[in-house]
Amino acid sequence: MKREHQETGAGGGSGYHVATAADMAGAKGKMTAAPSMGMEDDDCGVDELLAALGYKVRSSDMADVAQKLEQLEVAMASTAAAASDDASVLPQIASDTVHYDPSDLATWLDSMLSELNAPPPPLPPPPPVAAAVHHHHRFDVSTASAITTVAPLRPSDAYDFKPVPPPAAASGGRVVYGLDPQSEMIVSPRDQKRKRTCSPSSSSSRGAEAGRARGSRTEGASSAKPAAALPVVVVDTQETGIRLVHALMACAEAVQQENLKAADALVKHISVLAASQDGPMRKVAGYFAEAIARRIYRRRPLFQVDRALDSPALEDLLHLHFYESCPYLKFAHFTANQAILEAFSGCRRVHVIDFGMRQGLQWPALLQALALRPGGPPSLRLTGIGPPQSDQSDALQQVGWKLALLAKTIGVDFHYRGFVASSLADLESRMLVERDGNEGDRDDEGEEEAVAVNSVLELHRLLSRTGALEKVLRMVLAVRPRIVTVVEEEANHNGGTFLDRFTEALHYYSSMFDSLEGGGGQAADAGEEEEQQKHRAMAEAYLGRQICNVVACEGAERTERHETLGQWRGRMARAGFEPAHLGSNAFKQASMLLALYAGGDGFRVEETDGCLTLGWHTRPLIATSAWRVSAASAH
Amino acid sequence: MLTREEGEEEKEEEEEEEAKGRRRAFSINDNVDLLAEILGRLDGRSLAVAGCVCRLWNAVGRRDSVWEAVCHRHVAGGGSSGAGGGCSTRSVVAALGGYRRLYRLCIGPALDRLAGSAGGRGSTTTTAEAAAAHHLSLSLSLSLFSIDCYERLGGRQQRPASLLFLCKPVDVS
Repeated sequence: MKREHQETGAGGGSGYHVATAADMAGAKGKMTAAPSMGMEDDDCGVDELLAALGYKVRSSDMADVAQKLEQLEVAMASTAAAASDDASVLPQIASDTVHYDPSDLATWLDSMLSELNAPPPPLPPPPPVAAAVHHHHRFDVSTASAITTVAPLRPSDAYDFKPVPPPAAASGGRVVYGLDPQSEMIVSPRDQKRKRTCSPSSSSSRGAEAGRARGSRTEGASSAKPAAALPVVVVDTQETGIRLVHALMACAEAVQQENLKAADALVKHISVLAASQDGPMRKVAGYFAEAIARRIYRRRPLFQVDRALDSPALEDLLHLHFYESCPYLKFAHFTANQAILEAFSGCRRVHVIDFGMRQGLQWPALLQALALRPGGPPSLRLTGIGPPQSDQSDALQQVGWKLALLAKTIGVDFHYRGFVASSLADLESRMLVERDGNEGDRDDEGEEEAVAVNSVLELHRLLSRTGALEKVLRMVLAVRPRIVTVVEEEANHNGGTFLDRFTEALHYYSSMFDSLEGGGGQAADAGEEEEQQKHRAMAEAYLGRQICNVVACEGAERTERHETLGQWRGRMARAGFEPAHLGSNAFKQASMLLALYAGGDGFRVEETDGCLTLGWHTRPLIATSAWRVSAASAH
Repeated sequence: MLTREEGEEEKEEEEEEEAKGRRRAFSINDNVDLLAEILGRLDGRSLAVAGCVCRLWNAVGRRDSVWEAVCHRHVAGGGSSGAGGGCSTRSVVAALGGYRRLYRLCIGPALDRLAGSAGGRGSTTTTAEAAAAHHLSLSLSLSLFSIDCYERLGGRQQRPASLLFLCKPVDVS
């Protein structure tokens, strides 16, 4: 039950109703998770366990209870489906704090089932331990619903633990994740309080349940306090959003301190909170929750089975959808092509080495630009490098064939060669370019071919093995290229502690998901709208895999070791390259490209010291830079 | 000789009468090149509408040369800044699918999108900047067009989607 709960939490855009129903079942299931967890871990003493937690349920009734739970789930799903506005149903449900006495499960379920005819049914939040707190307040559903619609403008001073009010109050419900240290400090005592209640528990599931119940009790207590001042307690989306972020941070901290029980409890809590969110924040939280769960459970054999389903074909497909649904890769390709084009001006024979061929979507534009350049097209040789394929199909050769067909159509002399390599460090320079005395290199005029090396989101993978990046950069130097174009994610996911990495990744991927949501244009009809949503969902899955790798993996498995532009500058300079400024043409073309995106207001193209970065609002997300061999190392 | 001269005179008279008749009722449909020249000065939407008038106009409206004029006019901003290698451009574009397709897939939606966004910001750019922007947008359009053409080459994909982001919103209220 735990595992599929995580999965549905991370399910993302598809099947909203299924996700909400399952999450609601999961939330209700938290109540019965105690007994069911008790049943899984302790086969005996169920009655005592339940009784100790305050549930007066006979074990013989459990089957009946389970059946009623299923009915409830179905009924709630149908209610949710019937609701006119999905976005308001769930926050209403999650936030209406109508408390029933849950000590009598069976009759409570009966009352819930009977009440489902009146929309919307109230859902109790993670229930307090019945022995400790008795909430019998009954809030009027109608007033609750009236207030929740005003939620985004809710004053934040009703809560005693509220951190610095977010600047996103103006943007209406969208959470801003600017966790400045001030808010962190305000919140951390509370988080530590929660963690401290969790950590002393030594018994397996019962302690976690008690800890979680106590944690929710503190929340319940604080939410009950303003209940005296206000007629209704309302939790608006911003509030749960901030709580969600803090829950994620607390969970990461727990993982870092190897406090796996607390982390486990927090992960479930996160999934519930995430269900009350909407849009990109829910998806981001879902993916991060899943990744942390994987990290916690990675010693279980189930984890390895999932990894075996990875295939380069799937990776390529997701990459393709990511290409189509947002401008980052197009930006990368266009700016890199511009740099390569300018470096090749005047050359009759050119050679491009692509470190990550995939579908070859960068090269049609370069072919066309070369075909139309003043002076006529050169003869182009393209060397593509790709990972080994699990099935028999030779994807590299197929891509090469397509590019050759296009080149023939537009009249460019084109040669292609594909290399299969599981890691770039396996390559040698003499494989790529024959130098110094080999006949194949020079033509009749003895003119050498100009070489360009292009790496789009490939170099960071080499950082998982020590020395691999240096070896590859030495190889690039040996090839003596005119220009090296490097595109990398602009984030630091490779430094410091796990918590630092987690925080950085949370900010980065939140911005990414925001831009996916906001940057998609409107479609002309329902069919295209569906297509766009499908692309977006798969793009989100692509990012979800990266998140999983950043958070859940360690050592050689963790290949998504992103570094910032400054760090890459340092590495390239140490390897013997000097920066080549990307011209104003590249900047203008990138700006024009971004202007064509419907959400173009959010995207920002910036130029820093000759490198171009594309970001969402104030956060740069991807950076293109160009390099040439420095005079010192050319000797 | 006499008969020939008379015949010529008669013919001249007939021609004069016909010419007078023609001058009185000039039909554009008789002069297809002129029609093409005129249609080439329209914008994309009007040209598409003109193609719905009759079969002749439809045929003329489908000529790639007409669409080439439309593309250059609306992208180069009135000046032929991309004239260096116009012949090679034509062959490349023809190979990729033609100017009409280029307009339909790339330039048209791009212009609509830019017009929509520029209307909000207000046009303060000078003509030189506008021309430079339009010239670049031609190369950008060609890049996008070539990617789309490449995606269709494979054949296995039903809907090449690299241009989906250019879809313009249609008000169907």
